[in-house]
Amino acid sequence: MDLIIGGAFQGKLEYAKEKYGLAESDIFRCGGGADIDASFRCVYGLEDYVKSCLKEGKEPALDFRPDAVLIGREIFSGVVPVDPEIRRFREGYGRYLQKLAARCDTVTRIFCGLPQRIK
Amino acid sequence: MTVFISGGSKSGKSALAEDLAVKLSGGKALYYVATMVPKDSEDAVRVEKHRLARRGKGFETLECPKLVSRCAEGRPQGTFLLDSVTALLANMMFAEDGSVDENCSARASEELLALAALAADSVFVSDFIYADAEEYEELTEAFRRELALTDRALAKAADLVIEVCCGQYMIHKGEMPA
Repeated sequence: MDLIIGGAFQGKLEYAKEKYGLAESDIFRCGGGADIDASFRCVYGLEDYVKSCLKEGKEPALDFRPDAVLIGREIFSGVVPVDPEIRRFREGYGRYLQKLAARCDTVTRIFCGLPQRIK
Repeated sequence: MTVFISGGSKSGKSALAEDLAVKLSGGKALYYVATMVPKDSEDAVRVEKHRLARRGKGFETLECPKLVSRCAEGRPQGTFLLDSVTALLANMMFAEDGSVDENCSARASEELLALAALAADSVFVSDFIYADAEEYEELTEAFRRELALTDRALAKAADLVIEVCCGQYMIHKGEMPA
């Protein structure tokens, strides 16, 4: 399993498409709640998925295909959010990414379109 | 050489960019492309702080809020420091007449890459505003997207890409000049 992280609009999905030769049909785009289809090669938008899980009180999945490409946004460099819901999301999502990264073979951070392997 | 620098606010980007520009110029012509149009007294104070920090380093200041490639015309041997891409993008997105161009990154990238191509050396400074949990309204999101696309175009073309944090730097591409 490979994890790709980075800030908003940094080119995470573009990088993954090129690196792994992904077609649009390989990509599951999160944003439709706490249910995802982990049979897809690539799961994009982990932040939306985890946000929904936290809202619904579900544990977000840590098991994916062995060749899964997992993509999530880094949201951790601002001030502590005033809104308690966003605060809980930031904390829960951060802890989730740590657990997921520990299980992944590689972790790559995208900065202005450029990849940096950090695991 | 083309250099692209980004990082959080008050991380030391400008100081590093100035030092690099001075080094790259090797005593030849050195220009500071001032993009910011001061809107209030707070801006004026910030401009003055940067001006003082640059004093004695040998920069000639060129005021150019939008069409920055024109700065390099007729100055082929020059080293250009543009600080910041963020201010340039704001100028391009929000026009004086109140109109908004929500897709200005192509225009901005074109100007910046043209400047880089014309200059002997160039250093570009941008702001990394992409990693917080805030949910912004549409216009702010559009600004973040357009700035990110401009940053990525510059990072792709640059020989050296640096992220600055607490006055320290990480190199994402290329090597520091000797």
